[in-house]
Amino acid sequence: MFDFLTRDMLAIIWFFLWCVIWGVYFALDSFSLGAGLLAPFIATDKVQRIQIQKAVGPFWGGNEVWLILAAGGTFAAFPLVFSKMFTFLYLPMMLLLIGLIARGISVEYLHKDENPQIQKIFTWGWFAGSLLTSLVLGVAFANLFKGLEIASGGVYKGNLPGLFSPYALIGGILFVLMSVTSGALWINFKTEGTIAAKAGDLAKKSCLIVFALALVYLAYSFIGIEGFTTNYSALPALYLLPVLAIVAAALAIFFVKKDRGFLAFCSNLLVLLFVVQSGLASIYPYMLKSSISLEYGIDIFEAAASHMSLSVMLAGALVFVPIVIIYQLWVYTLFREKIKETDQVDY
Amino acid sequence: MVELLLLSRLQFAITVAFHFLFVPLTLGLALLVAGMETVYYRNKAETWRRMADFWGGIFKINFAIGLVTGLAMTFQFGTNWGAYAEFMGDVFGPPLAFEALLAFFLEGTFFGAWIFLNRSHQKLKAFSMWMVALGTNMSALWIITANGFMQNPVGYEMAADGSKVVMTDFFALLTNSYVWYMLVHTLLAAYLLTSFLVMGICAYHFLKRNNSEVFKRSFSIAVAIALATAVMLPVLGHGYAQYVTELQPAKGAAMDAIWETGSREPLYLIQVPDPSTGSNSIQLLGIPGLASFLYTGSFSGTITGLNQLPQDEIPPVGIVFWSFRLMVALGSLFIIEAIAGLYLQKSGKLYTSDKYLKLLIWSIPLPYIAIIAGWIVAEVGRQPWIVYGLLKTAKGVSSVPTENVLLSIVIISALYLILTVFEIYIIKKTVVNATGVE
Ligand code: HDD
Ligand code: HEM
Ligand code: HEM
Repeated sequence: MFDFLTRDMLAIIWFFLWCVIWGVYFALDSFSLGAGLLAPFIATDKVQRIQIQKAVGPFWGGNEVWLILAAGGTFAAFPLVFSKMFTFLYLPMMLLLIGLIARGISVEYLHKDENPQIQKIFTWGWFAGSLLTSLVLGVAFANLFKGLEIASGGVYKGNLPGLFSPYALIGGILFVLMSVTSGALWINFKTEGTIAAKAGDLAKKSCLIVFALALVYLAYSFIGIEGFTTNYSALPALYLLPVLAIVAAALAIFFVKKDRGFLAFCSNLLVLLFVVQSGLASIYPYMLKSSISLEYGIDIFEAAASHMSLSVMLAGALVFVPIVIIYQLWVYTLFREKIKETDQVDY
Repeated sequence: MVELLLLSRLQFAITVAFHFLFVPLTLGLALLVAGMETVYYRNKAETWRRMADFWGGIFKINFAIGLVTGLAMTFQFGTNWGAYAEFMGDVFGPPLAFEALLAFFLEGTFFGAWIFLNRSHQKLKAFSMWMVALGTNMSALWIITANGFMQNPVGYEMAADGSKVVMTDFFALLTNSYVWYMLVHTLLAAYLLTSFLVMGICAYHFLKRNNSEVFKRSFSIAVAIALATAVMLPVLGHGYAQYVTELQPAKGAAMDAIWETGSREPLYLIQVPDPSTGSNSIQLLGIPGLASFLYTGSFSGTITGLNQLPQDEIPPVGIVFWSFRLMVALGSLFIIEAIAGLYLQKSGKLYTSDKYLKLLIWSIPLPYIAIIAGWIVAEVGRQPWIVYGLLKTAKGVSSVPTENVLLSIVIISALYLILTVFEIYIIKKTVVNATGVE
């Protein structure tokens, strides 16, 4: 299969797909994470909490699978990266796992018991899980862009505190805030009544912060991160990515002002997408960049699976990714109605 | 290093066993509920709607945990089994990626749709549940494709430097006979578990004299599935055992603790192996030639004894032996219970046979135990290999600080324990409250 492509070409294609899958995951999951981040604060009673829960309930599970695909795709296309990344970042990965477990269980179990105390625990569990997930992912990706402390022979010299540099912290906070904004805009778009208004007000403010912080983060990347600009100098068209991120953030502000909730929501998703892509574009051909010396990093050609494996999966992805996208979109249209305060069927 | 290996194995065993406490019920209930949704769509009878609601409610609770614990499995291949992931990535990665693409997306997406669609969209609701059932059952196929390779490597070659396996034939991976033995056996076990859980819950209500149509009908479906799967498991399991013994002689010999090579090996009904002496300390009531027949297909077949195999390649005999005995003993019990259930129901005495009904309630955990025991046979029996004949388990582990692994075990176990307690509490509540179903 795909015999006209060399293994290196397939590796490049898979790197591209890898970036796309992560981008899609970040964009899609941001609103379910954001809803969790907001739930304990903006929902004043059970009625409103159920509205939030119903706004994300039908979608979050399918969205999260993009993360599993990203992880599984890394394993399949770049086994070496999968192994090293998860081993190096052992504790952060465990934190991420705990976050994902807490989020998943809390969303599903929120109203399985009438006891308000239990409901409270799960509301906060939902919040904590969403916070942990978005924060750890933001910090982890900032570290990937910055480079991990990989010494010669692939030996990892870093430790947990070392991962929380100012740059990584800004990244983490930016991801949390982008998720909050996504969540607020989604709730505003999907629900009716008090909760929608509250979420809309909140989005007006958080949009501004996202714009400012994205600007800081990108500027920091270009000025303060070693080697970040190399690919950009080689291929100036890449500058479009950060520019589009900022334009999208500005558009989000504009649309929120005009009360065009859905367009604002889409713009905010684009901010996420382009911020992530701006960073990923800088590390190519490395997937695990070394902050000690470039040559110690792990690049896609070294890490890629065999020609056979890459082409089998490429065939699979070309057929099934479109099918997945079609039925996921279809499910979105199935639940296009806004959630009112009055339709309080528990689930 | 030894501690790291031990802890990593312990963590893997705990997390995978935990994942598999929830998976079998998902596999079975998804199909059952999908069937109920469809019947309700067709006949619009209240009873069927109530059945779909009730069993669907339990499905929802169970599914959520299966989903989050699966994430832990994926992560662990990188965090704790990094060297294995590098060695196996070329072969293991594609099934895992296909599992996400073909199975997880289906189940994840349509699970949400099924929950939130109301009954005015019954056709779509039923369709969504069928997609969930398809997704979950396909998920089993893909992960077992990966596990099948670990048990019986096919369609690969070693990289020139011997550092990893390289896939040469994807089709061979899928047509690996091991995969199909394992898949069929695992799915049957999952359906059996589901039917025993359904029967147990129905029994609870019959004991409360709540003989509503919902439970009567559910019981008659479940008892038929229970009988069919309980009979098929040993029938097919027997062929499976022969196949496994041929491929992995040490596992086969360990399953029945056969120490010395011989033909016409008897099967001892009472037997206690003693690995320290390399023999059985107790063996009574031997049935001549039966062991030979079970493991080779002929009463005079020759079985290679553990003492004649390379001593550094035999698994922990005691664990494998007792787990296998436990699975088979429980398997026999399930057949008896299923026959009794069918008989009592046909003769109309079921709803008053309190002893039998109580037995059914107490039997709910038994298939869970049988399933974990079966996996222990398969996985511990493969030791010391992580990939049979190619990579030793000791070579597969990540070099991470031991304390990190210890920390993660403690946290994950605590989290899982809380989840289990809560899940049991919620399911119990759902079951008890359902008295009002009719
Ligand atoms: C309800 C559960 C259940 C029951 C009643 C049985 N099994 Fe089983 N068995 C499983 C559930 C299971 C399992 C957990 O699903 C396993 C683990 C791996 C697999 O494929 O299925 C398994 C594994 C397993 C293996 C190990 C295969 C390997 O090493 O890969 C053998 C040889 C058998 N079984 C044979 C039997 C026989 C002869 C049975 C006769 C009563 C039997 N099983 C009943
Ligand atoms: C869900 C059912 C499963 C159960 C209950 C199970 C159970 C176990 C147990 C108890 C061990 C420990 C053996 C030992 O260390 O002596 C083990 C090992 C292992 N299993 Fe499984 N297994 C299951 C399925 C799988 C699948 C589907 C895969 C891969 C696709 C897998 C991969 C492994 C690996 C890599 C090891 C080696 C690590 C170790 O020895 O602990 N298992 N399994
Ligand atoms: C040891 C390797 C395993 C890994 C890495 C793994 C991975 C996963 C993941 C990531 C999920 C979540 C999917 C989602 O979000 O929709 C999941 C769920 C599931 N897995 Fe596993 N799994 C393993 C073992 C198994 C085995 C042995 C089986 C079946 C034979 C199985 C069957 C399922 C099913 C049916 C689900 C969905 C069920 C539910 O949510 O309860 N898995 N698994």
